[in-house]
Amino acid sequence: MQHVNSWRNVAAATGRADRAAAEAGVRRAYRTAGLAEPDRIIWAASPRAAVETVEKLTDAGRSVREEVRTRPWAEERRRMYDELGPAGWSALWSATGAQLWETTAALAERIRTGVVADLAVRPEDEGDVRLVLLDAVLGQHDAAWLAAFDGRGDRLTGLAEVARNAGWWWPYERAVVIAERPDVLHRDEAGRLDHGEGPALAYGDGFALYAWRGMPVPAAFLAELSTLTPERIRAEENAELRRVMLEYYGYDRYLTESGAEPVHRDETGILWRIALDGDEDVVMVEVVNSTPERDGTHRTYWLRVPPTTRTAKDGVAWTFGLEGAAYAPVRQT
Amino acid sequence: MYRQGDVLIMALEESAVPAPFLEAPGELRDGRGRLVLALGEVTGHAHAVQGPGRLIREAGPFGPMLLHLPEGGRVVHEEHATIALPQGWFRVVRQREYAPGAVRIVAD
Repeated sequence: MQHVNSWRNVAAATGRADRAAAEAGVRRAYRTAGLAEPDRIIWAASPRAAVETVEKLTDAGRSVREEVRTRPWAEERRRMYDELGPAGWSALWSATGAQLWETTAALAERIRTGVVADLAVRPEDEGDVRLVLLDAVLGQHDAAWLAAFDGRGDRLTGLAEVARNAGWWWPYERAVVIAERPDVLHRDEAGRLDHGEGPALAYGDGFALYAWRGMPVPAAFLAELSTLTPERIRAEENAELRRVMLEYYGYDRYLTESGAEPVHRDETGILWRIALDGDEDVVMVEVVNSTPERDGTHRTYWLRVPPTTRTAKDGVAWTFGLEGAAYAPVRQT
Repeated sequence: MYRQGDVLIMALEESAVPAPFLEAPGELRDGRGRLVLALGEVTGHAHAVQGPGRLIREAGPFGPMLLHLPEGGRVVHEEHATIALPQGWFRVVRQREYAPGAVRIVAD
């Protein structure tokens, strides 16, 4: 777990790269792979800038990502699988890489999508940008894989050094392009990109992604959130953006201002329903936290449940994958 | 059945535990020697069990998970009151939320 937490921090690290340490890691990764060290290491401010730099490279030779990253990983995985057996490998992976996999993979994919959206001005350019992205080693966002191998051999030490100190990088025979880490990263407790007052992810050169609880939103949309009204929310035709508006505005406030009545009430909470034109109803359970806050009040929170839900208890039970009749905690805090 | 915030812990008869999990190796403990049932990515607040036992993750990063406490244990969290658990097997389920076209995990 110590390893997992340190790699969790690597995946979420922001701020200037330690360039000397990252470059030492790159050189070590090349030596470990049996390759000559690259002649040049070129820094870029973001993955977007790095793709542009890669596109302009001349005389860099072919990509050596396979030798530097993929093959050592595959061979280390095979070695550990043979050593630990299927159950042991599976337990190791679930205790390490699996804990970070979903959030870092999702983040990397969002960055790829953002780079493509920014650089592929014409649809026919998209393939070229994606090809360059395929050559990337993900640096800090390889944290999930590196967590599984940490402390179990020195073959991946170079890759781990780069990951701890920099962002994505592109290894070619004679040149390497490395991107800085982001300056800004805001996520919610579930690890999704999430920020209501600016970019959720931003690099030094202005490359940025905007998101609300993981959902990509346009930058201009965020600026509008602070001036929302129930009328504006009802008038929004894009169902996904309307959901974001509702979450940002607050279901409770929206319910109060739209005069909504509770649909059902029982010992587990209160069930509410908001009808929306052209979209399925929003059905929510209002639940009171069992443990009081420091000031003695109890926090109320709202969970969205399927529109077919009929009672508050059915709703709360659904959030745990149960039927209403089966939900009966003897103690809750 | 016990609930601490967004985590539900259901007692399970040993006979209902799938055979491969009875002797399966458990999750590693965190730096404080605890079994972490759920961890908040940003605050680092954790639903965690102290004391002897094993946590076995069946699939996916959010479970479901099986918890075996041969001597009972205590579930702690920075923002919730502690819950004492009797000895035995438990199924641990993380709360989820409905989103049209998807289901997403709740994190408190």
